[in-house]
Amino acid sequence: MTQLDISLTVNGARHELSVGPTEMLTEVLRRRLDMTGTNRDCGMGICGACTVLLDGQPVSSCILLAALADGSEITTVEGLERDGRLTAVQEAFLRHGAVQCGYCTPGFVITSTALLEENPSPSREEIVEALKGNLCRCTGYKKIVEAVEAVARAKGDGVGVS
Amino acid sequence: MPGPWTEPPGEKFALEDLEAQAHWQREYHRIVRAIREEMGADLPEAAEGVTGTVGMPLPRNDVLYKVRGRARYAANIKMADMLHCRFVRSEQAHARILRIDTTQAEAVPGVVAVLKGEEIPPDRRLIGTLTQDTPVLAVDKVRFAGEPIVAIAAETPEAAEAACLLVEVDYEPLPVIHSPEEALAADAETIDAEGNVIGDLLHEIGDLEAGLAQADVVLENEYVVESMDHAFLEPPSGLCFLDPEGVLTVLVCTQYPHYHHKQVARVTGLPLEKVRVSQTVVGGAFGGKMDNAVECALALLTLRTGRPTTATLSREEVFTSTTKRHAMTIRQKLGATKDGKLTALDVEVLSDGGAYRSYSMIVGGRCVIHTGMPYRIPNVRSHYVVAFTNYPPAGAMRSFGIVKMAFAMESQMNELAERLGLSPIEVRRRNAMVDDDKTIIGQKLWDVAYHETLDAIEPIYERLRREIAAEPTRNGRKRGIGLASLGYGIGYSGVRNPSTARMYVDAEGQVLACCGTPDIGTGSDMSLAMIAAQSAGISLHRVRVISGDSTKTDDSGPTSASRTTYFSGNAAYICGQDFKRQIEEAVAKARDLPAERVRLEDDRVLVGNDSIGFEEACALIGEGTEEICGYGKFDPDIAMDILKFSGNPYATYTFGTDMVEVEVDEELGQIDVVRAWTAHDAGTVINPVGTEGQIDGGVVMGIGQALWERCVRKDGVIANPHYRDYLMAGAKDVPLEIENTFVENKDRTGPYGAKGVAEVSLIPIPAAIASAVRHASGVWPNHLPMDAEYLYRLIAEARGKPVADAAE
Repeated sequence: MTQLDISLTVNGARHELSVGPTEMLTEVLRRRLDMTGTNRDCGMGICGACTVLLDGQPVSSCILLAALADGSEITTVEGLERDGRLTAVQEAFLRHGAVQCGYCTPGFVITSTALLEENPSPSREEIVEALKGNLCRCTGYKKIVEAVEAVARAKGDGVGVS
Repeated sequence: MPGPWTEPPGEKFALEDLEAQAHWQREYHRIVRAIREEMGADLPEAAEGVTGTVGMPLPRNDVLYKVRGRARYAANIKMADMLHCRFVRSEQAHARILRIDTTQAEAVPGVVAVLKGEEIPPDRRLIGTLTQDTPVLAVDKVRFAGEPIVAIAAETPEAAEAACLLVEVDYEPLPVIHSPEEALAADAETIDAEGNVIGDLLHEIGDLEAGLAQADVVLENEYVVESMDHAFLEPPSGLCFLDPEGVLTVLVCTQYPHYHHKQVARVTGLPLEKVRVSQTVVGGAFGGKMDNAVECALALLTLRTGRPTTATLSREEVFTSTTKRHAMTIRQKLGATKDGKLTALDVEVLSDGGAYRSYSMIVGGRCVIHTGMPYRIPNVRSHYVVAFTNYPPAGAMRSFGIVKMAFAMESQMNELAERLGLSPIEVRRRNAMVDDDKTIIGQKLWDVAYHETLDAIEPIYERLRREIAAEPTRNGRKRGIGLASLGYGIGYSGVRNPSTARMYVDAEGQVLACCGTPDIGTGSDMSLAMIAAQSAGISLHRVRVISGDSTKTDDSGPTSASRTTYFSGNAAYICGQDFKRQIEEAVAKARDLPAERVRLEDDRVLVGNDSIGFEEACALIGEGTEEICGYGKFDPDIAMDILKFSGNPYATYTFGTDMVEVEVDEELGQIDVVRAWTAHDAGTVINPVGTEGQIDGGVVMGIGQALWERCVRKDGVIANPHYRDYLMAGAKDVPLEIENTFVENKDRTGPYGAKGVAEVSLIPIPAAIASAVRHASGVWPNHLPMDAEYLYRLIAEARGKPVADAAE
């Protein structure tokens, strides 16, 4: 099968890759780059477990052809932490009990990070709207939303966040 | 046959190397310490750790890896030379297999092994929990669409998938049994060699007819509950390899590694010591990771090829091949006097067990035992029949059937309250179980705080009744509230299910705690570490937990039936006490003092008149630390005569009451649950963050079951095997206002007074919602899910409006 040469910048590192025309971004991240933080579940772009940032926007990487991401900047959950410290979103998820089994967590952390980048003080409605594409079976969502609210509050209070 | 393959680096929760793990552990303890300080704890400057943590809302250790994308889910583990396994699954719901031709599949480049059921020796082909009735791979007959027939291992998943498509299976279709009613018909096609009845359970107390005769009111209803999926987010996944000692090692997401250990040994014919099953981080389970999914096939393919083999099911395979919640029809009669005293209960359950037995009998037994819980009813008859059908096996799922029994029981309690003009709280109070009451199978209860959960909900109920009376609609939608209760036995039903724990220490003071029950995402490892550390008198930060490994831990039973905090927590507590005693004795020996002059508490050892740190004490013990092994076993005297349904089936019981507020859009038939309140008698809460998380999650799963979730069964297949058509709640669909109360209570038999709580908040939710719909719209739903079409019809019919037939 024809292979396509693409270039991806993942968490700041550039990768030149030759991918198949049907290869999805999730598979490229997980299998070729060994970045397994991006989880795979439904394969239909519904559950959000595979969410990554594509040029800053959250997308379902399981239905994004890797070839279409040619030239983009990808951020995965592994690329968030800085200097051995959690980001404010990651620490809030930890502190607020927003994580149980954790399979959906990378997707939620990525989506929440993108939301707070764009809108540092979202209302509860805006948070829920942003998170509607991510499924969680364990937490019932309450603590996830509370964690995002806590980060927004801290930003509003001028507390340092990364 | 030894393999050159060693387990990939990393620990159960973390994929990364030890140095990185050590860094993140320090980060974790820094955060825990910061939280303790925010809570006002006066921690000494130098102290790294914290002691006495039971009851504190602490973040979980494993979550540190999960928020960073470094969790070691089975599908994330890679090994050199690893093969990928995929399954050929039956397209027929019920058929004889005439021929399986794998010639073309074997010729696909990259295919290394093709395994058929007939290649497994006949005495090793079947697996199962109580009864070994489920083929690893179907041989001459298939019983449901989705049943595995052939397993293929190839160099790439793509090659394995391509090969699967080239396997030819010729079937001779057999009549398909779609429901238990069909299964029980006299001329029904037989699914199992022993007939179509999986179980027929009956228990009676008192005199039912006399009880009904005493009643001033007798309610008679039928409740129908459809099948649902666990919908854990992580599809079943595993990796198998031969280690350098020739031990067949299976790393797999499971609720019960020790069960799979024995099953894999049986299927492969290997002695137990040549098999190891170790649990990986589990991405949700809810009862759906009790049965074999990939384990046995991976083991056989690894032995066949000599190479590591991995498999991960697709989401569609999860929906079509893993176990489901039992669909049930419950016919129920409830009698009461006009002052609300229950006189009689007659329950007739017909349950759909699917194609194999799985946990059907356990679900059935639990349903019979819990009939009428949590009320005193003198005259009860409970009859439970579960039959085979040609749909995926029904198995264990959060509450083992009790959510459905409660849908019927609690709905009738609410209807009774209405008929008698009593509040639903008052009618419950008049029948509520208290200490020394006996369950219908004769177990005497203790430390029951069910009344207190009603007391906690009552003021909220009264306030909301007034609010809604004043403002019965909101945004054009009808408002209503409803509540329901639960009583639930913790642990296995009627058989001993001990748990054990061990604690080791090295000369640097690092403590390893081992327990067989795995953490399936609930945070049980964290709770067990808190209990063990506090019991031993040491700081939490010293304790590392290993759980769920057939070689490194004892068989302590599964993480299911809300048993881990209670059973393994007790084992951890006893173990901590033993560990503490051994440390004290060893220090006394080193210092040549009598043992009673040495005391370990608050992470320090008082030696005579001196006080030394725990690490210093371990250094003092030196090589003697190698001899220290704290051990705890908790094995309560659980005994039940299963034929007579008498005895003590559970070690303790949890109680609770949930309430919901709904808004009903009658034009669309849509129900929106806008707020929820829960009150539980969970005994002592070990870690409020974790416990509240279980309660919130249970409420939302209950809402899903009540309103949307169903496996659509049509023509012998699950017609909605993906999230697009299997509707699960998202953040927009659920109440974010869930207020949880834990009533003051301590269970004298629990670790620090704790009971189990993981499943329970789900149980009352469907009945509470049905009652809220009654309050809002005047109809009594008796079907789950109460989806929009169902509710629209119910309301339209009640109003005498014509209803157009919906398209099939």
